[in-house]
Amino acid sequence: MTLGSLLRWPVSYPLALIVALMALVPVGVLFGLASDDVQLFDAHNLKVLTNTLLLMVFTVLGAILIGVPLALLTAYAQMPGRRLWLILLAAPLAIPSYIGAFTLYAAFGRGGEIENLLGLPVPAMDGLMGATIVMILYSYPFVMLTTRASLLSLDASLVNAARTLGMSLGASLWRVVLPRVVTGIAAGGLLVALYTLSDFGTPAIMRLDTFTRVIFVEYNAFGLSQAAMLSLQLLVIVGLVLFLESRVRGSRERPGRHLTLWPGRGQQFAIVLSVVPILVLAIALPLAVFGIWLVREGSEGFEFSYAWNSAHASFLAAIFAVILAIPVAHAAIAGRAGRLMERMTYFGFGVPGIVMGTALVYVGLQLPFLYQTLGLLVLAYVLRFLPLAVGSVRSTAEGLDPSLVKAARVLGASPREAFQRVTLPLTVRGMVAGAALVFLEAMRELPATLMLGPTGFETLATYLWRVYEAGYFGRAAIPGLLLVLMSALGLALMLSGERRAEIDVTETPQS
Amino acid sequence: MQRRAFLHSLAAVGALGCLPAARALAASPMANSGEGAVSVDQLPKLEGDLTLYLGRGEGGLYENVLEAIKKRNPKLNLQIRRGVTAALANTIVAEAKAGVRRADVFWAVDSGAIGLVADAGLARSLPSDLIAQLKPGFRYPQWAPVTGRIRTVPYNTERLTAEQIPDSIMALADSNLSIGWAPAYAAFQSFVTAMRLLEGDKATGEWLRAVNQRAKNYAGELGVVMGVERGEVDVGLANHYYTLRLKSGKPDANVDLAFTRNDAGCLVNAGGILALSEGDLPINFIRYLLSREVQSYLASEAYEIPLVSGVKPPEGLVPLSSISPPKVDLTQLADLRPTLNLMRSVGVL
Repeated sequence: MTLGSLLRWPVSYPLALIVALMALVPVGVLFGLASDDVQLFDAHNLKVLTNTLLLMVFTVLGAILIGVPLALLTAYAQMPGRRLWLILLAAPLAIPSYIGAFTLYAAFGRGGEIENLLGLPVPAMDGLMGATIVMILYSYPFVMLTTRASLLSLDASLVNAARTLGMSLGASLWRVVLPRVVTGIAAGGLLVALYTLSDFGTPAIMRLDTFTRVIFVEYNAFGLSQAAMLSLQLLVIVGLVLFLESRVRGSRERPGRHLTLWPGRGQQFAIVLSVVPILVLAIALPLAVFGIWLVREGSEGFEFSYAWNSAHASFLAAIFAVILAIPVAHAAIAGRAGRLMERMTYFGFGVPGIVMGTALVYVGLQLPFLYQTLGLLVLAYVLRFLPLAVGSVRSTAEGLDPSLVKAARVLGASPREAFQRVTLPLTVRGMVAGAALVFLEAMRELPATLMLGPTGFETLATYLWRVYEAGYFGRAAIPGLLLVLMSALGLALMLSGERRAEIDVTETPQS
Repeated sequence: MQRRAFLHSLAAVGALGCLPAARALAASPMANSGEGAVSVDQLPKLEGDLTLYLGRGEGGLYENVLEAIKKRNPKLNLQIRRGVTAALANTIVAEAKAGVRRADVFWAVDSGAIGLVADAGLARSLPSDLIAQLKPGFRYPQWAPVTGRIRTVPYNTERLTAEQIPDSIMALADSNLSIGWAPAYAAFQSFVTAMRLLEGDKATGEWLRAVNQRAKNYAGELGVVMGVERGEVDVGLANHYYTLRLKSGKPDANVDLAFTRNDAGCLVNAGGILALSEGDLPINFIRYLLSREVQSYLASEAYEIPLVSGVKPPEGLVPLSSISPPKVDLTQLADLRPTLNLMRSVGVL
């Protein structure tokens, strides 16, 4: 590359390159750590790998089994209150899975809340079975929403043709509709797989030895090298899933009128009957358990500073993420090299929180001025959630008509002035949306916060974890409810904002 | 650590405590001719920044002590990092290796963790006048034991008498009693570590597996004792003070303590504290924990066994001379990883 071509690089490139390289730091650190003499693979490791893969596969299968029929229903069936049903069915996304795991664990089993309240002996919810159930309950909406979006883009005339040729409704859905939305289902399934792989709280609470749980155990024994080795193994699986995801491409069809089904009263009743148990388990039960605890223990032990700490760290993360996202987003629009840099920042999103935590604890030990500081925690949040900000900023920046900037330049504005007076005001919405997404994701982040938080820095999520570990379950009510509220806000934002195209809860089919 | 001396002294404390005259004597501050517990009124005020690593322990009661110290010393900026005892000990060692020191004081519920840090050469020597406040046999140059505790078998008095409980912890696995336990709890894991050291991994694994068949899990050991009292299980496995605490709030509670003989089931362990950084502040902070007020509070409210001269042992504890704890090197209890692996491999954790 000649000097001349370097000089012709868009201004956003050098900054974007720095941000992109920063996103790769955790992985480099892990390689460095794991090159210490550690066991590469042993029998226990094999069990951990098996557990992780089993949990992933069962969760994906379960999420597809629940998510696809629900997608068909919410996309095609005309029922009273269908918008409400759709929102209710997407609502489990608003509950961090560790909160679901915590409350379901406390509700079931001997001496659980259900037995205490109703006197009904119910089986315990733990192990592979328990973790799978929890993960399915809180991840099926990914499949439901991506599949639904694909379904809404289909033309109904093929189904109508099949029906007039004598195929039953069920058979035509199976043979004519579903094959055309396989990519939608696959996209959702892969999201579920990623979510399951990186989840720390659920396997920990359900006492299932998956990678995330064992990494935390190794970290607690301060076996950082071993934790790094396990982290790399987990990253390999994550990388495979990400690779598969990048291969999934939606097939575009000429849009047309979509199918509408009119279930009869009996059918409607049957549908409601089969949907309600899911909602009871995923939403009503956790909220009820928190309600019981709230009545029983009140706000005992809770301090307002926990909520403040959560908000403070998340706010800083949101601001920095957006500042770093701006050059990356502009680089991505500017050219191919920029798009590559943007892709590199996406890497952090695939790095599970526990892995990010392991890497940055080690960075902190090497750079003592960072160790156990708020700065390091914020850095972890930024590296993980930067892609959310990049996505939001980019989508508004792309919508910007370049001729506006050119007009400003023609009228005598300097590039700086054109940016300040034209580009910035027009993209500020995307920045705010991106910042809000990062803020809310950082609020619910658990493992990296546990590992990296400064001494005495208790957040809603870490406090919830502490009362779980100490067995003072009742004290989880207030932080738990606050976290659910925050996540619900985040979900509302995500569904109404830039993700509308893939995950569409609102009415209109894309045309 | 001089294990035998430790046990003898502990037994002596208990024996002393059960004699009314000796108890009265011990309660009198004059009895120890200046060597006994010091009142907080005589202690220097604490000022400045202090970071405490607190090995997760008895929750509320330790927090109350820390709150009281903070209240008394408004100029003290006390930051607390809480965590699993063994994890914090490992963290301190790793921080020292990397040349980073964040903790000024380390208070652990388990002497094994203390031993791990002290063996790494990170603990400061304590001044002799502070060491002299501790009962003979509990005087160590680099750390101060704060309180002692004993593993016990609480049992439901409506269902069982003391004679029906096996006096060997290993035999408990072969009995037909239903058992309450808290495998995730640090004190329980120390107990399993002791069993591993005494009986070997194989026997311990078989014991865990057998007990697991008839065990009911609780989150903590107070829960275990409450479960025993409610009759959810026949017997439990718990530190001594949970039963004493429950009985103090509910004198007619259907629970009493049984002790096994010469095995991990009656392990004696101590919590302790050490100073990691230079200066008077960490040492003076330790003085507060050894003050008469804090020691009396931990004895009377937490039912832990005070280890400073001139403080009454908790009420309701049998004479320790009547029990026979096993001979275990407490510093080895820090070796938690094989224990966790074993507990996982048999499906207990």
